[in-house]
Amino acid sequence: MSKNKAIYNTSLRARTIQAFVIIISISIGYYLLTNVVDNLRQMELPFGFGFINSTAGFDVSWSLIPYDPSMSYGRVYLVGIVNTLLLSAFIIVFSTLLGFFVGIVRLSPNLLAAQFSRWYVEFFRNVPLLIQIVFWFIVVFSTLPAPRQSYSLFTTFFLNNRGFYFPAPIFQPGFIWTFITALSVIVCLTVLLKKSKSYRKRTGNLLPYYYPLLFAPLVFLTAVFVLTGKPLHWAIPKLTGFNFEGGFFIPTAFAAAFVAMTIYRSASIGETVRAGIQSIDPGQIEAASAIGFPPAKSLWFIIIPQAARAILPPLINLWLTIVKESSLAVAIGFPELVSVFMQTSLNQTGRAIEIVLMVMGFYMCASLTISFLLNQYNKRIQLQGG
Amino acid sequence: MGKLTNPKAELLEFVPRPSRPPVVVTYGFTGWLKKHLFGGFWNTLQTIAVFSLLYLLLKPFIEWSVIDAVWVASTRRECLEISPDGACWAGVITWFNNLIYGRYPDELQWRINLGFGLGLVWLMPLVLKKLKNKIGIAIMAVVLYPFLANYLFIGGEPNGLHYIIACVALAYLMMIYINIILIYTGCQLLEQYLEPLLERISPKKAALLSHVACWFVLSLLIVSIFQGVQLQHVPIDMWGGLFLTVVISSFAIVMALPIGVFLALGRRSNMPVIKWFSIAIIELVRSVPMITVLFMSVTMMPLFFPNTMDLNKLSQVIIAVCIFAGAYMAETVRGGLQAISPGQFDAAKSVGLGYWQTMFLIILPQALKLMIPNIVTSFISMFKDTTLVSIIGLFDIMLMARNISIDKDWYGLHSEPLVAISFIFFIVCYGMSQYSQSLEKKLKTSR
Repeated sequence: MSKNKAIYNTSLRARTIQAFVIIISISIGYYLLTNVVDNLRQMELPFGFGFINSTAGFDVSWSLIPYDPSMSYGRVYLVGIVNTLLLSAFIIVFSTLLGFFVGIVRLSPNLLAAQFSRWYVEFFRNVPLLIQIVFWFIVVFSTLPAPRQSYSLFTTFFLNNRGFYFPAPIFQPGFIWTFITALSVIVCLTVLLKKSKSYRKRTGNLLPYYYPLLFAPLVFLTAVFVLTGKPLHWAIPKLTGFNFEGGFFIPTAFAAAFVAMTIYRSASIGETVRAGIQSIDPGQIEAASAIGFPPAKSLWFIIIPQAARAILPPLINLWLTIVKESSLAVAIGFPELVSVFMQTSLNQTGRAIEIVLMVMGFYMCASLTISFLLNQYNKRIQLQGG
Repeated sequence: MGKLTNPKAELLEFVPRPSRPPVVVTYGFTGWLKKHLFGGFWNTLQTIAVFSLLYLLLKPFIEWSVIDAVWVASTRRECLEISPDGACWAGVITWFNNLIYGRYPDELQWRINLGFGLGLVWLMPLVLKKLKNKIGIAIMAVVLYPFLANYLFIGGEPNGLHYIIACVALAYLMMIYINIILIYTGCQLLEQYLEPLLERISPKKAALLSHVACWFVLSLLIVSIFQGVQLQHVPIDMWGGLFLTVVISSFAIVMALPIGVFLALGRRSNMPVIKWFSIAIIELVRSVPMITVLFMSVTMMPLFFPNTMDLNKLSQVIIAVCIFAGAYMAETVRGGLQAISPGQFDAAKSVGLGYWQTMFLIILPQALKLMIPNIVTSFISMFKDTTLVSIIGLFDIMLMARNISIDKDWYGLHSEPLVAISFIFFIVCYGMSQYSQSLEKKLKTSR
């Protein structure tokens, strides 16, 4: 009798099962750990993060922050992170813009435009991203002309098979005044926009002298810039020998990864936007046109603000996916985190566990931070108590 | 007012209103054109813009890929001599066999076809109406079929456990088909002939016993028949092409569902340890890129096992891909579970079903039905993501396509293979997504 009771006691059963799971996972963990310790002892590579202070000794083909081979593995890690974040930020911004465009065109009354958008989405999301990245890199960007024959725009922007060259600003000492003015102008404009918004809500009219007020700070800013003697020069890339010097430069690998992922993700963002817009009651659009809103205005003031509530949660997920997917640029040798740290550094040091932990740790932190921040924002814009 | 009430008032003369302007044509071909392509300024502008864009994009592509293309040539140089601006499909055609089968020996490729063919043959009975125990057939397909296919792909001596399991699998498949023939000719099932004999031994479990007995006898038969057939051993390093892509992605697809279901159930469990364990695995795996998981599987995983253990790259990759796919599937399954109303749980509890009975008999069948479109979507992304294994050096279709450009005859042939495999992926993925959309529609109307 007491035996039966023990079997049918759910809380006891739950505790037993959990204890069992804990014991099993601990013993598996112990088994794996002893293997790791044995293997590392045989390889004479004791576990530890000391290696991040030792000299890396290899060059990274492109880095946003200063780097040279005499720097440490820690610096390489940082270079990889910065490059990854730069690439993903560019992709996120441009694929979102393009995606909104694609999603809106998909719902155009024009049959040809809607069908074009539909096939754009179907084509780009059904071909693996890796193939697209390699295609853009090998077939498009690597077949551009050599530096001597590069395409140029106003002889300041150059595009060739090494990358894209564009002027870099050189700030003179006097630029500090323009910078300070710019900051104060931004503050002024924010205050002005807030004021005008609340005024408009109260009275239904624009703030008096709204447009002059909007432009005055800009005029002031230009005046300060000119009066301090135009303290900003541009370093324009120039062909010297076989390559360009001066100015900024982004490698073709960056451009290829950027273009491929922007197009690939613009297709999925376009679908999300389409679904979000279609989730709005058509009565809203009819009501907008009934009170005389032109289509473009009703899209901007009526549809998108409401659709944003439906679009934002999946969009956040897509942005997180983009940050993770930017690691695919490793396939074409763009020096992002996986490429410089998980490939080159790992091959050099052989410290698999530490490096895998560090790389995965970065992606986890990035994902968690981004999703936390955006979910806070998402909570703010969702309908309350709905 | 007064006018209307006075009957003697002069009758008002009927003056018709001026007729309205003709209705804008909304019917016929002109109406259709006006409505969809040239209605208003913006509409016309869009038509012109898209049309010119299509012209700019498609004309050079069609010229390159069809009009100027070379289909028959023996080297890239020959292609360029015939048509310098056209696509050189001859290279893709020459390498097509390798794109599909990798470096698998040509004369043994029938084994791959046979293996996949048997898989289809195994799944075909699932659409037959008269057959019972379809779930059993499906589960056996998941459990036994991989051994059969794997034996066909790898080959080796006709002895050992692997050979025997493969024969047992083949026996099961044969039994299914014998039973199908018997059912459709109106006879009894194979095992029902044996049942009367076995009822004397154990009346209660006669059905099961006879089933197992038939299976056993057939297995013995097959083991002895194929004893004389020697399948040449093909090492895993030789696997490649679309074949390898399909092997990896089908492992991922098949394993993702059970892993995902258990992780999702664990996540909703009341037991804190199991709940947090599942959450940790799901969130950990989902927050890192797949390529890092793959790198981990080839660099870090070997350290976790004794170095006497012989791990090959393919199995490491398959383990990683399965875990990855499982974690993503868990979230899909969770979405399906959340859509089931709590009343279903209460009802199951009130008729006395336990946890596993509730889940497998009541909740999951309903949830899975809801989830089918999402599951197909994640299958598609799994299939596409399989191309990442080329980065860590497995010769899947992507790496095979890249390798054409370093072949001495076809040196520098980059774009054609990429376009060709894009086309293959597009056909497969687009087909699957259309199928999932049609399923979605079908399931919606039936509810």
